[in-house]
Amino acid sequence: MNRVGYVFLYICLGIVAVFQIFPIIWLLLFSLKSNREIFAGSPFALPTEWRWENYLKVWEGGIGLYFWNSVWITAVAIIFTAILASMATFAITRMHWKLNKLVLGLFMVGLMIPIHSAIIPLFSMFLNVNLIDNPLSIVITYTAYNLPITMMILLGFYYTLPREIEEAAIIDGCSIHRMFFRIILPMTAPVLSTIVIINMIYNWNEFVFVNTFISSDEFKTLTVGIQNFIGQYMTDWGAIGATLIISLLPILVAFIFFSNKVVEGISSSAVKG
Amino acid sequence: MYVLPALLLIGVLIFIPLILTGYYGLMDWDGIGEMEFIGLENYINAVQDLKFWDSALHSFLLALFSTLSLIVYLGISMILASKIKGADLLRKIYLIPMLLSSVAIAQLWIKVFNPANGMLNRILMSIGFENPPAWLADTDIVLYAIFIPILWQYAGFYILIYYAALKNIPETIIEAARIDGASPLQIAYRIKLPLIKSVVKVTIVLAIVGSLKYFDLIYVMTGGGPNGASEVMASYMYKLAFNTNEFGYGSAIGFLLLIITLIVTVIVRKLTAEKDEIQY
Amino acid sequence: MKKKAITIVLFVTVLALFMAGCNDSDSSADSESDKTIKFMHLWPEGSSAEHNRIVDEIIEEYESENEGVTIDLEVLSNEQYKDKIQVLSTSDELPDVGMTWAAGYMEPFVEGNKFASLDDVAESDELQDAFVSGTTEAFSVDGTTYGLPLELNIATVFYNKSIFDEHGLEAPETYEEFKNVVQTLDENGVPPIALGNADRWTGSLWYMYFADRIGGSDVLTSAINREGTFEDPALVQAAEEVQNLVDMNAFNDGFNGLSDQEAKSMFMNAQTAMYLIATWDLPNYTTNEEVPQEFRDSVGYFDFPTVEGNGDKDSYVGGPGVGLFVSENSDVKEEAKDFASFFAQQWGEKSVSEAGVIPATKVDAESLDLPQMYVDVLDDLNNASNITLFADVQMSPDTAEVHLNQIQALFGGEVSPEDFAKAHEEALSQEE
Repeated sequence: MNRVGYVFLYICLGIVAVFQIFPIIWLLLFSLKSNREIFAGSPFALPTEWRWENYLKVWEGGIGLYFWNSVWITAVAIIFTAILASMATFAITRMHWKLNKLVLGLFMVGLMIPIHSAIIPLFSMFLNVNLIDNPLSIVITYTAYNLPITMMILLGFYYTLPREIEEAAIIDGCSIHRMFFRIILPMTAPVLSTIVIINMIYNWNEFVFVNTFISSDEFKTLTVGIQNFIGQYMTDWGAIGATLIISLLPILVAFIFFSNKVVEGISSSAVKG
Repeated sequence: MYVLPALLLIGVLIFIPLILTGYYGLMDWDGIGEMEFIGLENYINAVQDLKFWDSALHSFLLALFSTLSLIVYLGISMILASKIKGADLLRKIYLIPMLLSSVAIAQLWIKVFNPANGMLNRILMSIGFENPPAWLADTDIVLYAIFIPILWQYAGFYILIYYAALKNIPETIIEAARIDGASPLQIAYRIKLPLIKSVVKVTIVLAIVGSLKYFDLIYVMTGGGPNGASEVMASYMYKLAFNTNEFGYGSAIGFLLLIITLIVTVIVRKLTAEKDEIQY
Repeated sequence: MKKKAITIVLFVTVLALFMAGCNDSDSSADSESDKTIKFMHLWPEGSSAEHNRIVDEIIEEYESENEGVTIDLEVLSNEQYKDKIQVLSTSDELPDVGMTWAAGYMEPFVEGNKFASLDDVAESDELQDAFVSGTTEAFSVDGTTYGLPLELNIATVFYNKSIFDEHGLEAPETYEEFKNVVQTLDENGVPPIALGNADRWTGSLWYMYFADRIGGSDVLTSAINREGTFEDPALVQAAEEVQNLVDMNAFNDGFNGLSDQEAKSMFMNAQTAMYLIATWDLPNYTTNEEVPQEFRDSVGYFDFPTVEGNGDKDSYVGGPGVGLFVSENSDVKEEAKDFASFFAQQWGEKSVSEAGVIPATKVDAESLDLPQMYVDVLDDLNNASNITLFADVQMSPDTAEVHLNQIQALFGGEVSPEDFAKAHEEALSQEE
């Protein structure tokens, strides 16, 4: 490409970048304003008074515990989802068995259920097994509801994995389990990073299930912390902004970390491949 | 063996609720008092319910736009995955919106679309539009206006997937093509695209299914209004089940949503399937 | 490695059973003399600090007075509260004491036998004269009380005195004067009225007031309870007046796409001159420190004007907000009733003086140190000839949905006043 082309390309990419990054700047400003300023002034005007007390208020609202709950629930659910989805996808794409297609179909149907229809049946099921107000109900619900989409994404990648490696492994006398855990899983590391990112975002921001299944404060997560500032007649938007920023930070850091893994993982597996 | 744990989990947590939804659909139930079995009445009513079909149409439009915008996402991913300077940073920036929760995105776009103080209308007025539209208040425009934040929100998701897929292509293949004198466009279309075909197909399904059951931003930003102009299937179902005490009817709509999605998905998979594809 | 997979499954199952077991032992720990009352409310600490604190104080007081009774509290925000109640009711798991809205919201729960009759509590010595008249009626079905009202709000027009002064205007008494105000403001480039009609009930207030002034205080109510009809000329004219106002440019641009919150902020930033809202907003114009003093001082309110000489200015649109219910299937029904009664008694004075709530229980305004606007509103309430309950609250949820959508269409000019009436008639006749 010639020079002009590159300049043009970068201008376009730059404009898109501005579009994508401005919400964070906006949110940061938002979190430092009062309700009045949020609704009246230009969204990008600097706050007339930098209201750091919004953060103080949020912190005093006991967000620390919510934060920790969000972290561990998200993490545990991701681990379950990633392992179970990898195993299932492996079986569907790599093994030959009769009900293969049917099972894949079932997982795809799982993708289609609207969560609001599921919520009442789920509630009564958890109630029967005494899992209401127990974080386990959240963990397994997240795992189950992220499985279909995770598998769909994995599926696309598993089909493109070269079969030669497996064949070589089997000739070498490698058991199927060994092959899966030692060869396939590491090979899919870049996709797994992608999946971790997607699962992380879903679990981290989810609140319908938490709200319904959890009633004790000790098990609530950050998204419920946001609800804390929505009132019957009045809502404290500045504090919500502050909560949103606090809840964005860890996910942003984790995102950048795993995002690098997407590239690293590929280069390492490319060497093996 | 390998499928079993996953199958068990979705069997219990997704399929049982799904069957129950279909079952509740057979009931006259406000979600509070006693249920009464009424057979297929809810389903028959739903099929004749113009509001339902309106909302279905809106959902289909969203699915169409989502699928079309995949082309744009793919294009951006291709550029980012080719070795240009700063691609790594740009990629991270492009994915930022998907990190935000819907609450934040909704608040942001409500401010963009605000008819009097909103960013969009201020820009339009400053470049000479006298009467810019009232976006979310205008029944003719609201549906399209609200698609924009939805498509924007999901850009990161698809770019992430495409990028990972493109990076998975062995460098040697592309190198070989380049030596043979293929232009970047030819490489993209002739080599990269076919290699990530299975991923693209998956994203098409994801985009369609995701759109047909989409709920979040629409519910927060317009609540389906004004006067139903931006109602989609999921928001209609939610209103019936949770706001107007027609839980049985809402469940029937939820079940129909699922059936419709299933039919569309099967059709799409048939259309995109190829004969040489042994795996499917 | 096969083991690994099995282990995971087993691990999950065992963990589930184990935790379920833990829960069991928890609940059985309540010995017979100790009672736990589950209580849910919708005033989270973050947004409603004072409400939240008062509730905690009342609970503390109750627990110390009643040895062996523990109140188990769950707090959710408005929307989440409604959703959760819906889910809980499907599994018959309603809290022992909770909050409900009046009339239309409450009726399905009463019909489904979920709420306990509170007649004995409402007629007890402590409470029988405590409530402002009309408030318990809104929580009654067929003469039985199912809720103890906690709030009472009426809608009035708040206006910005400085903007009015600037244009030489005064608070209007009649609709002619009101239209004059609107016209003057519009000609001077000030959007006269802030309206956030994405929320829809906001527009309904305007329609209801027109109905009240044109057709008298019972025309709308009787149309809803089927003694009358929405095709009553007065109601059709009310709908016409709404559209006339819209045509006069009385409301801010794009009102159908704005939330009430956004409209409120236009008024509070002096971008519009008037704002019709209920008295739950009073703290913003009196005690809320976050609002500049200058603005608070410049806000006044006036009652909705008379229309063509008709109407009674002491007739209001309004109604009780939330009230307490006691679950019919509660294991500790008697204790729950006792707590609800205690709560209702304690709530009144505390809530008005500390949280700025207009309570549904009678308070002695003289003895409390209240801002002038509160004194005026309490005074209005004492002299009120009638309070028409918010239309969407009166109606069943289905009909309310039709009503609210029609309101939006009416304001948007997408439906004629006649069709507006017809749509209501259809919705209501389907119910019968």
